[in-house]
Amino acid sequence: MRNGDYHPNRFQAQSDAVTTLFQTKVDSNPENTVGFMTMAGKGPEVLVTHTKDLGQILSAIHSSQDKIGGVADIPTAIAVAQLALKHRSNKNLRQRIVVFVASPLQGQGADEKYMVRLAKKLKKNNVAIDFIAFGDGIEEGEHSILKTFVENANSGDNCHYLAVPPGPHLLSDIILNSPILAGDRGIPEEAMGDIASGAAAGGAGGFEFGVDPSLDPELAMALRMSMEEEQARQAAAAQASGAPSSSGAASTPALAAAAAAATSSTSAPPTGAAQAAAGAAAAEDEEDEEAMLQKALAMSQGQDVEMADHQGGQEESEEDEIKRAIEMSMKGNDQQQQ
Amino acid sequence: MAESEVSLLEYLDLSQLTCLNETQDHTFKAIVADKKKNTGSAYLESDADEQLLLTLPFNQTVKIRSIAIQSSNVEQAPRKIRLVTNRPALNFDDLEDGGAVLQEIELSEEDVREGRKVPLRFVKFQSVNSLHVFVVSNQGDEDQTRIDAIDVFGMPLQGTRDVSGLKKVEDD
Repeated sequence: MRNGDYHPNRFQAQSDAVTTLFQTKVDSNPENTVGFMTMAGKGPEVLVTHTKDLGQILSAIHSSQDKIGGVADIPTAIAVAQLALKHRSNKNLRQRIVVFVASPLQGQGADEKYMVRLAKKLKKNNVAIDFIAFGDGIEEGEHSILKTFVENANSGDNCHYLAVPPGPHLLSDIILNSPILAGDRGIPEEAMGDIASGAAAGGAGGFEFGVDPSLDPELAMALRMSMEEEQARQAAAAQASGAPSSSGAASTPALAAAAAAATSSTSAPPTGAAQAAAGAAAAEDEEDEEAMLQKALAMSQGQDVEMADHQGGQEESEEDEIKRAIEMSMKGNDQQQQ
Repeated sequence: MAESEVSLLEYLDLSQLTCLNETQDHTFKAIVADKKKNTGSAYLESDADEQLLLTLPFNQTVKIRSIAIQSSNVEQAPRKIRLVTNRPALNFDDLEDGGAVLQEIELSEEDVREGRKVPLRFVKFQSVNSLHVFVVSNQGDEDQTRIDAIDVFGMPLQGTRDVSGLKKVEDD
């Protein structure tokens, strides 16, 4: 818990995440209440029962700081949490348990059959559960007991599993941008589905333009539109530059193609990012781009075909023009020197 | 027995209505939302296993004389049910040992097919604020239990009055 792989250390990062979680939950609905418990030490212990008071949570976090140690007993802790949830005063509230796991699963917690049974029981009693795994809590390999647990407890997509690898990002930021808190921030959870993986991978940097599209769809739309406009402008510029330079005969198709290739390659990284963030929109973008590229190529080639007939005459006249221009400039220079 | 026996669904407090282990698509609320016996296509179905825990909160104290449960698929219809009253914080764990259970009923296939009234031990259901129906098992040991309609008969207790319909009068 004192490891420094999460900034500033695991416990601090987790405390920060807890307060963020608390604040978001309480702010989202005035009836919401949050409790707080620890899983390790001598045994699972409820430090704060349902409250809306941040001070109580903060003092509990502070007091738990001295009790770091022992082994986290997740199944027992979940059972205790369920009991605490059961005695809530407002029966209209739906129950949810959020578990932070930063140490490897041990004892019954590592017994998949037992955990699945526990998950089914939670589902039956209408208790939603979220797992936030970080540090050593992230299980190695493809198979994850916690993930299986969440899958078994899930009813109506209300349970989530989030693994946060170590890195320079803040644990609380990633939780804030994950489906765990999406519903409390007025964002439809479906919109967060694809983004969650991106967020887990690299925080806000994983988004197209560095902005979470689901948080501010209008901004994302504006950014995307301006990018498309710029692409269109570049394509038009490529066409325009293709037309006049076509007088340069055989070298033109290559030039136009190079210009088109340049536009497509500059816009490639953004579309790549868009694919990660929003698959459907990205596909459309790509189609547009390809169509434009084709058009640019076709146009430049078409113009070439037309030009081919006049090539000889034009070349001569151009050479003449250049000669005349050089002569004139030479004359001008002479005059200036005189 | 001069008192008339009426359906108590009209006294339900729908805002407090809950059901544990129901599926998202087929909820308890759907079959009692009209405050009368459900005749539409909606039904209640269990999710993780065959058990269900229905909570029927009333907006005033009632006496319950009988209960009727109907299911269009007899195999999936409830067989053994346990009744508990006035325990708003009930979950499945409390009912495993059967300590608080007032009455256990074994429903026959005819009962659930036709939605026949099953009489309760009237003396035990004299002052009910909320009725909890724990469905333990179903007729055909199916994985899912299905209930198409439920109705509760009895009478509102004299002296208590339904105040939920009253609206606050605007001050001038």
